[in-house]
Amino acid sequence: MSVQAGSGSEAAVCLVGLTKRYGRRRGIQDVALEVLPGEVLGFLGPNGAGKSTTIRLMMGLLLPTGGSVEVFGSDPRGDLLVRRRIGYLPGELALFPSLSGRELIGRVARVRGGVEPGEIDRLVGRLHVDLDRPIRSLSKGNRQKVGLVLAFMHRPDLLVLDEPSSGLDPLLQDEFEQLVRERVGEGATVFLSSHDLDEVDRVVDRVAIIRAGRLVGVDTLDSLRKRAPRLVELRFTGPTDPSPVLAVPGVRALDTSATGVRLEVTGRLGALLHAAVPLGVADLTARPVSLDAIFRSFYEDTPVRQELHAN
Amino acid sequence: MPTDLARLDLRLRRRGLWAYALGTGAYALLIVVLYPSFRHDTSLDQLMRGNPTVAALFGVAGSLTSPAGWLNANLYANIVPLCALLLTIGYGATAIAGENDEERLGLLAALPLSRRALLAQKLLALSVLSTPVALTTLAADLIGRFYQLQPPWQGLAGVTVGVALSALLFGCLALAVGCLTNNRGAAIGVASAVAVASYVVSSLAGSVAWVHHLRFFSPLYWSVGQNQVESGLPLTSLAALVLTITVIAGVAVWSFDRLDVR
Repeated sequence: MSVQAGSGSEAAVCLVGLTKRYGRRRGIQDVALEVLPGEVLGFLGPNGAGKSTTIRLMMGLLLPTGGSVEVFGSDPRGDLLVRRRIGYLPGELALFPSLSGRELIGRVARVRGGVEPGEIDRLVGRLHVDLDRPIRSLSKGNRQKVGLVLAFMHRPDLLVLDEPSSGLDPLLQDEFEQLVRERVGEGATVFLSSHDLDEVDRVVDRVAIIRAGRLVGVDTLDSLRKRAPRLVELRFTGPTDPSPVLAVPGVRALDTSATGVRLEVTGRLGALLHAAVPLGVADLTARPVSLDAIFRSFYEDTPVRQELHAN
Repeated sequence: MPTDLARLDLRLRRRGLWAYALGTGAYALLIVVLYPSFRHDTSLDQLMRGNPTVAALFGVAGSLTSPAGWLNANLYANIVPLCALLLTIGYGATAIAGENDEERLGLLAALPLSRRALLAQKLLALSVLSTPVALTTLAADLIGRFYQLQPPWQGLAGVTVGVALSALLFGCLALAVGCLTNNRGAAIGVASAVAVASYVVSSLAGSVAWVHHLRFFSPLYWSVGQNQVESGLPLTSLAALVLTITVIAGVAVWSFDRLDVR
């Protein structure tokens, strides 16, 4: 299911066989992934799956044990021009507690170069950043806003955001998503790690799912939804043996009783209906599996994931 | 060379820097103004002559009541290098390993700045931090002209350079160990242990025969252990200190290039 990646591709980000081990401890193993220019890729996985390791490798902060990273066709570890085009928000954002936001942003802008003061003012205004208090006295959300200004202020071509909306209130989450859409509208690419599935649903074009250091799925949300099984509940007119419906290919029983069954159904419902009607159906409900359930299935290796992979 | 990150580190440490500099300067001034009270106290010299090894352990060699001996025994053989080293070893251990442990280094290492340029700014900040203790002590020494304390100019200049270079050397050592191990505790521990061993060797080199053979392994011997207050900093010592600093800084650059930053 992973996108085939090859060196010298047109991709904004190209990871090939990327592996990182910390001594005997697992980091990530053989991750291959491409992110296309202008795309928003959601990078998902449970805690400890390897999301931050992958992101730090992409940023050139970690030395890979194997494989390669290319951003805009070059290794960001050694290519400063490429790093100039990246905006990075770390997952565990640690700032300098005794500095004010204004001082920190000013110093980082000077080191980075090419930052327009007007752009900083615009971001500060939109995100309502408190610039004058020492960072140690700011709440987590307010520190996160400083981090977002640092990531966006040079209008980067690639945004690498690790848990960007962590600590933000819903209004500011909306503003952040709007900022992302604006950057993408101007051609930027976004690599977004998040646990907020609603945010992922609203913002991303594709998702890549990592689990225990390995990439286990890369696809669009629409495609995942289409291929995901549906939950079907059948209620019969009286006590019935449901074995004819359970024998239908693609059907798995979640719960059975004398007068009804709860099923997980992959594929078309026609064969199921054909088998169920002779049993005397009093009621039928069918709904898609939630996005949350789809991702949980990837995280936990449950049957839904096996069905997705089988397809 | 851009200096924004060096100035950031100095800005973050400005209070500690002032406190160290003023504290050491105040102590040095106290030693200076006390000199006239001890200048003619021959019993001190007799005491030292009677226990030369013990005296050496406390950094005392030669006459304690001469201007150079007084400054050497009370300032340059022990307290001043110790204060200067505390400042630079602390910074050296924090600059890379400590900042990485606090997960702040990633924010800087992700900027469009090479690892070498980033480390060069850390070394620049370390160089600046190596000077205030030596300079405020020098300022106190100069006030000594008004308190009958007049060691040779070249001696004061030499020992001031020696203190600053030894502080830089041990700070570089902490920085390099931090880059190699990614561990602030190891950086402080190794640099402090080497400094203590260096102090013992430098102090006892004049009175214990087998330690005398080890004196060239002691950076403190090169910087303050050859009665520099009287005779200045020999060119060979200056060259040895500069060469050692260069080699250690090279190790720091090499290992920082390979360090995993969080």
